[in-house]
Amino acid sequence: MSGKVAFALTAPVGVLLPFVVPQYSLTVLIEALIFGLFAMSLDLMVGYCRLYSFGHSAAYGLGAYSAALILTHLQLPLLIGIGLAVPATIAVAIPIAWICTRSTGVSFAMLTLAFAQLGYAMLFRFRDITGGSDGIVGIPRPPGPFGMTWFQGKIGYYYLVLGCLFGSYLLCRAIVRSPFGAVLSGIRENERKTVSLGYNTRAYKIATVVLAYGFGGLAGALYAGFAGFASPELFFWLVSGRVLIMVVVGGAGTLIGPIIGGVFFVFVEHELSQVTDLWPLVFGSIFIAFVMFAPEGIWGIVTARFKQKPIVPSSAGGEETSDAAA
Amino acid sequence: MPLLECRGLVRRFGALVAVDAVDMSLDAGKIRAVIGPNGAGKSTVFNLITSVLKPTTGEVIFAGEKITGLPVHVVAQKGIARTFQLCHIFPALTARENVRIAAQARDAQRWRFVGGGRVRNRSAAIADEALEHMRLTRFAGVAAAMLSHGDQRLLEVAMAIAQKPRLLMLDEPTQGLSLEETDRAVQILKGMLGVGNLSVLLVEHDMEVVFKLADDITVLHRGRVIADGPPAAVKANADVRRAYLGGSE
Repeated sequence: MSGKVAFALTAPVGVLLPFVVPQYSLTVLIEALIFGLFAMSLDLMVGYCRLYSFGHSAAYGLGAYSAALILTHLQLPLLIGIGLAVPATIAVAIPIAWICTRSTGVSFAMLTLAFAQLGYAMLFRFRDITGGSDGIVGIPRPPGPFGMTWFQGKIGYYYLVLGCLFGSYLLCRAIVRSPFGAVLSGIRENERKTVSLGYNTRAYKIATVVLAYGFGGLAGALYAGFAGFASPELFFWLVSGRVLIMVVVGGAGTLIGPIIGGVFFVFVEHELSQVTDLWPLVFGSIFIAFVMFAPEGIWGIVTARFKQKPIVPSSAGGEETSDAAA
Repeated sequence: MPLLECRGLVRRFGALVAVDAVDMSLDAGKIRAVIGPNGAGKSTVFNLITSVLKPTTGEVIFAGEKITGLPVHVVAQKGIARTFQLCHIFPALTARENVRIAAQARDAQRWRFVGGGRVRNRSAAIADEALEHMRLTRFAGVAAAMLSHGDQRLLEVAMAIAQKPRLLMLDEPTQGLSLEETDRAVQILKGMLGVGNLSVLLVEHDMEVVFKLADDITVLHRGRVIADGPPAAVKANADVRRAYLGGSE
């Protein structure tokens, strides 16, 4: 219910925004939406499966570099280039997911971090392809297919990102509400029980990590196409930390929450960085405050207003008739 | 041919022999109780059968097939459902969703990523039936964590029946229940057991419960089988009395 209300309120705003805000704000807006998508992808792991990745920047970087290489070398249309970056990211994600899910908890987090840092290091090792510390610059936005050029301008690109975000959200929502998604909530609640019910939980976790990488890769590809460059920083662990904070502050396990968290933080960062150099301090303080006082996140606070307290039928007696005796 | 057969099961933990050469069999449609003092190896036997632990030696045969060493989820898919001694449920999910996820485990289309409305409906129907069986219907929409301890245990049994098992393994279903709750649980279990061809393996501390429910009883003491037979014979067995009175070597 509250989700529909929120959608009815935000959808027109999202569509009309480019006509209201000045051009330079549109840049921040696009980046915010991309980070919203990125944070949502991590939520699949963190919020639904309790898989705390500390290396989700790998998904972002893989998507960005895949798109960058495809667009600069193959001269494919932008939409197709971004589209192909997703399966490219997924192809790399499968072995990573297979290895990382062998462990759980902290060691899972460390393994994901290790893979992200490995990606970071490999950018410098294979300088000829990746451009080393310079990254890949001057990524074009080739027109097509069918000679389409609408996404080459800023407003057009905004709609492209908005469309990708909305489409991904619908897909993720369908996933978490599917039979597959129900098993993920089982894993989150009690993995041992889920196994003993007959679910191969490892396979479910691998699938979840791969899905999260896929959506994260889409976010990275959109970023590369927008910024026109891909640099090693995209793989750096700071990106992983930032997006994890966005998920927690937005509200893990809600999909919408992390989108809000991503958008919120990109804006806060943008505004604060103009005022003070100490903005990471504020960033950190917000995070601490949420963890301590509102662990359910921004979206948790919003939806709590709509939710009624659950009514628990009286316990004790087993039969309907023995209620009075209780 | 028995449905379940344990042949020479041994499990060592370092120097400790938790389960020592246990032979046990269970025919289809029967209820067997495994009893014994604390540390007798009852739960270890459960974990060996469900493949949570691998036996040091020995094997488990289920429906004519050796299942020793198979992954836990594969054993469950063969038709063995269990409850845990310490209640294992999904606390934040509703009672219905707890049982529905259990029912969905046996659905061929459980892997569906999107849609899956039909899987949901099918499993929800099975879940509602299982909740009804356990007289938990009125708690269907309540988060499992909000249920009383007794109802949580019954919820776990509901999850187990929703798996439509051939063998149901209950690890101390009445542990931590009040007297009234135990009576209620026994009544519900009695009504449910012996229906169809369901076989039950039951670990239980409460002798009253065991004698009310079981067709056969296996008595474990320090990892060994010291008696095996119908309740009356086991009751009369001198070794059993000694073991339970905390007697001598």
